[in-house]
Amino acid sequence: MKKKLLATVLSAVMAVTMMAGCGSAASSESGVKGVARTEEAATEVANTEVAEAPAADPIPASDEASGDVTIWYYWETAGHQEALDHIIQEFNNQQDKITVQAKYVPFADFKKQLSIGASAGELPDLVILDNPDHASYAAMGIFADITDRFDVSSYYPGPVNSCTLDGRLYGVPFGSNDLVLFYNEDMLKDAGCEVPTTWDELLDVAKKTTKGNVYGFAHCALQNEEGTFNFLPWVWSTGQTSYEINSEGGIKALEFEKSLVESGAFPKEAINWTQGDTMNQFISGNLAMMINGTWQIPTMREEVPDLNWNVAPIPQDKQQASGLGGENYAVIAGGNEEAAIAFLQYATSGDTCLYMMDHMGYISSDSRIAENQFKGDAVYQVFVDEMQYANARGPLPEWPDISDAISLAFNKVITGESAPADAAAEAQATIDGILGN
Amino acid sequence: MKKVKEFFRYENAGLLFILPAFLYMLVFVGYPILSNLILSFQDVSVKNLVKGTKHFVGLSNYVTMFQDEVFRKAMGNTLKFTIYCLIFQFIIGFLLALLFNKNFTFAKTVRGLTMIPWMMPMTVTALMFKFMFSTDVGIINYILKSLHLIQQNVEWLTSPRTAMIAVVAANVWIGIPFNTILLATGLTTIPQELYESASVDGASSFQQLIKITLPLLRPTIESVLVLGFIYTFKVYDLVYVMTEGGPVNSTHLLSTYSYKLSFDLFQYSKGSTVANVLFLILFLVGLLYLKITMQGEDE
Repeated sequence: MKKKLLATVLSAVMAVTMMAGCGSAASSESGVKGVARTEEAATEVANTEVAEAPAADPIPASDEASGDVTIWYYWETAGHQEALDHIIQEFNNQQDKITVQAKYVPFADFKKQLSIGASAGELPDLVILDNPDHASYAAMGIFADITDRFDVSSYYPGPVNSCTLDGRLYGVPFGSNDLVLFYNEDMLKDAGCEVPTTWDELLDVAKKTTKGNVYGFAHCALQNEEGTFNFLPWVWSTGQTSYEINSEGGIKALEFEKSLVESGAFPKEAINWTQGDTMNQFISGNLAMMINGTWQIPTMREEVPDLNWNVAPIPQDKQQASGLGGENYAVIAGGNEEAAIAFLQYATSGDTCLYMMDHMGYISSDSRIAENQFKGDAVYQVFVDEMQYANARGPLPEWPDISDAISLAFNKVITGESAPADAAAEAQATIDGILGN
Repeated sequence: MKKVKEFFRYENAGLLFILPAFLYMLVFVGYPILSNLILSFQDVSVKNLVKGTKHFVGLSNYVTMFQDEVFRKAMGNTLKFTIYCLIFQFIIGFLLALLFNKNFTFAKTVRGLTMIPWMMPMTVTALMFKFMFSTDVGIINYILKSLHLIQQNVEWLTSPRTAMIAVVAANVWIGIPFNTILLATGLTTIPQELYESASVDGASSFQQLIKITLPLLRPTIESVLVLGFIYTFKVYDLVYVMTEGGPVNSTHLLSTYSYKLSFDLFQYSKGSTVANVLFLILFLVGLLYLKITMQGEDE
């Protein structure tokens, strides 16, 4: 009798656990629905905006290109999703052979979904992915070789390089962004500081602007690709490459990070902040300065129109340096390649590309378009100028492992687990192991 | 023919009834386990996931992993995490169960309310604790400071020494209701007469607890602990959202490390090796649980 009661409760408990499982599945599904809804909303916007939207170039679709094209992307910002949806609607309305559909996959799941899709043979026709991961997937063999099928001669070499593996082109740069120093003009003025241009000045200004709840300076320092992206400009500024951490420059960069943390001007919690979190701290007035990227500008202008902020090149050691970020388009091998390329031709053509870039706050990777972008916008101009000093990560199929070693090193330094020299030596051992040195 | 007929006799009909469930288990549980096992004996990485030959490398992935510093750390962390969680969940859960066993007003209502932590989606709980444990604006530091227990803010989630405490605290909070509800149900099955006669004989409440409650509750306690072990050992989402295994790998569990290897670093075979170690340990604990429940039924 007692046993039975216990058994009943146990099974009830298990049933609840299972329901809890379903619950989370249902909620993630509703998340997808939420996106679908914003897509619908975007469609409405698109329909009302058709009249004033830039006229797209005629589509050079080849005869055999037809059928459905599915795109995977990971932008979570509503404005980004709406912009993509807008150009897709335009494309679908202009011709009746190809139907393009986009599916949102959260950034945290994106790589997992691609890997699972690759091993199960269930992939979309086109993906828009983070450029440091491009080489890994190209090496995996899931991207189509489009060397003679798409012309990238007018594109900047850095972004094109990120889609290239062994001299073959496996994608098209979507658009680029880079990192600069954002600063709160009022806070710097109150502390009587000028905009810092060197590491020493940055440390000095950061200390002076730290008071009460306000930290002087921060950048995203997560132990992942995002953190590596924000840390590497220090290394590059010393003249060293991403593969030379245990070098004079690499150690110097780690020591600089350490002095920032020890001065109390750099919050240790930045190791748990995404770039979005860092931006939120900045616009909430908890940060006087931060490193962040181009894509934050539209959000910041909308959220805090009254905040006095400006941008400047990242303070430097020996030379100016920034990180090159951005996404690439990649056509999936064995998918509807022709139709996907036809859409790519359309999406990267003059006005369509310009529309995407402007709505997303990206800099076009096509130099012909980028040169005419953001004319008269002083803030964006700083980013465009910084582009020529922006370094790419990789391209290397094993880049994720290299990046992991680097992010572990600066996390060890920030948390005080290791001295800069020790952390650098350890990271170098891992990197050398991967590169086979 | 006769044999076929014989097979379909009444006694064997039961086999037919379990056939659907068996097939389901074979496809949806058996196949993934098997394919994961095969993957861990191969050398699958970014280069040969889709194209190229996948060589069998024997046990070399297991050897590499057991030499891997992070793996050993994750293994130790998982055991530490599970044991600390079990101890605190059980003690607090047991005390609450004893409390709700007293029939005071609202006892039932409050007992129902304690289930809330368990019903809440894991990610919500994780984010909530992440905010609560934040160094400068977290409520935990605020309370500790107000009580003058600490002078300086504790860097809960940004120091490798304290991050585990924060993660354990969050998981204990989630696990308490599970312990409470099962133990409370177990308590209701103990006849009141035993306590009455014990108090007539002059047994103190502490003696009653040791001599009556605990022995009679033993089967429940065993189930609670073993199931708790299984639930806790494979925790993934809580840690992933709160710390992503950081800072400096100090909260990596086997589950989070396996995920990182497979889906961040593209080392699929190594990731599956870690997952298999996790599986093997849980499998052994599962067998233990079966043995305990079977013994219970024999008695």
